[in-house]
Amino acid sequence: MKPENRDIYELLIIAGSFLLLVPFLHTHRITDFMIFCIFVLSFDLLYGYMGRLSFGHLLYLGAGAYGAGLSLRHLTANPLLAILLGIAAACLLAMLAGLIVVRATGACFALINLAFNQTGWFLVMSPLRGITNGQDGFGIGAMRLGFFNFGSATFRFWFVLITLLLVFFLLKRVTSSPYGVLVRSIKEDETRVRFLGYNTYLYKWLTFVFSASVAGLSGALTALNYAYVNPNTMDVHKNVGAVFACLIGGAGRLYGALIGGVVYMLISNFLPLYVLRWEMFLGLALLIIVFRFRRGIWGSFEVWLSRAAASARLRAQSGKGAPVK
Amino acid sequence: MSEVLTIRGLTKRFGGLVAVNGVDLRVEEKETVGIIGPNGSGKTTLFNLITGLFQPTAGQIVFMDRDVTSARPEQRVAAGMVRTFQLVSVFNSLRVWENLVLCVTRFDAAHSSIWKFMTSPATGGTIRDDCYGVLRLVGLEDKAGTMTSELSYGDKRLLEIAIALSLKPKLLLLDEPLSGLSDVEVVDILNLLRRIKRDVTIIIIEHKVSMIVDFVDRLCVMNEGRFVSEGEPSEVLRDPAVQKCYWGKEGTRGC
Repeated sequence: MKPENRDIYELLIIAGSFLLLVPFLHTHRITDFMIFCIFVLSFDLLYGYMGRLSFGHLLYLGAGAYGAGLSLRHLTANPLLAILLGIAAACLLAMLAGLIVVRATGACFALINLAFNQTGWFLVMSPLRGITNGQDGFGIGAMRLGFFNFGSATFRFWFVLITLLLVFFLLKRVTSSPYGVLVRSIKEDETRVRFLGYNTYLYKWLTFVFSASVAGLSGALTALNYAYVNPNTMDVHKNVGAVFACLIGGAGRLYGALIGGVVYMLISNFLPLYVLRWEMFLGLALLIIVFRFRRGIWGSFEVWLSRAAASARLRAQSGKGAPVK
Repeated sequence: MSEVLTIRGLTKRFGGLVAVNGVDLRVEEKETVGIIGPNGSGKTTLFNLITGLFQPTAGQIVFMDRDVTSARPEQRVAAGMVRTFQLVSVFNSLRVWENLVLCVTRFDAAHSSIWKFMTSPATGGTIRDDCYGVLRLVGLEDKAGTMTSELSYGDKRLLEIAIALSLKPKLLLLDEPLSGLSDVEVVDILNLLRRIKRDVTIIIIEHKVSMIVDFVDRLCVMNEGRFVSEGEPSEVLRDPAVQKCYWGKEGTRGC
């Protein structure tokens, strides 16, 4: 199979998988799932691929949401331009924060991000209340530009689906490139990468900004999907959701991010209907993943697939080598 | 012949410990210099200073007529100074050939722009062929597709040297490349090093003195952070001061 054909088939399978959910779930909810998947993809680039666990990535989702929401409220009636401005807001914020953040590793990296996230949340809650309307947030009115009618749930569904496919395709290209190899190498041994002649600080910063920009896109889409923005979009506690989704699906794998995103959203949306303390089951799931399925759902599937292929090869070889009676 | 590396009064202190103490060294182009010495004598610290992993407390490092004393490691690599590590350092989570992708793309015009570096496939163009070409040089071509974590220790050493060679070094610093290897693997690596020795300036740290005596042009013996002897290998090994610091007694052992 030609690589370009393979890309098309993969995108069709992803689109088909989300379309299969349509008979069972409201399109607004599936749109929400897909937006979360975009966010998990952005988080996976940082955590799964580059090995930098952040507890503050929601800041950039929030920046995207506020950027798009405030643009629609004060600057433009063009929702597409608002999305771009939302991405730009997250990108600019990450460009500045990244200068400090990417110097750290491990727990420091996670906690500095958490601190920035908390600061951002505090800013929109209180000092910037005049613009952001504090805890109450603000609604977004007109979201239509010709064909692009974000007032329609069906249009939002298709728009977000296509955006998700584009983000997936872009990230697949990026993670399969020499830059992708560089990012994975930084995860394993950053010092060694420096001794290959690469300025790892620059590439870590670039990855951080890129990841935050994609998170900003998911934030802008969240604002349009709900026609409403409030500080919950950057609630630090929700960062855990992205970590769970990555681990459930399989960190460092784009398909893992998609599967993890959907599974986490299914659990967090439907389990509370039946179980009051549903987070407890999420904790148990995390324990099982850590001890039994470190590669997550997709990673375990890949291992199973490679073992099946290896045993099939062995069977074929032993069949060829068997004496003819 | 021109000087590739000149070190003057290089010193490194860790608190009260002087790990490297006023070392002077000059290495000519295409020369192979061996550095030996007992454990803790400062050999690897000297390498870390030369390659920029540590900043010296005092002294100067001139590489290819350029003062690189305060240059970052990646800047030194860009200038042609490449090293291997005491503990073999390869990327276990990558496939064998992928370990060379970052080295090969450094010299690939098709990946000169950041956009192409970020979006063109690592398997595309000539990258994969170039990686396989380097692996062929060290005899690892048939293992190119396997995970690096599945390689034997000796093969990882070969891969590490392949990584270093693919960076087109002007000066190659090898930190105990023969340690932990079987006799067969030692022969393989020495044969490889003999092949490349004609084209590259090499500084090699090694404990297996007998293995490198015939390989190096000049031998330096380090003890307590300074060179105690330096010169033609067989003469250096006969030096009583060397025998005392290296084997503990004067004139009790030959090389």
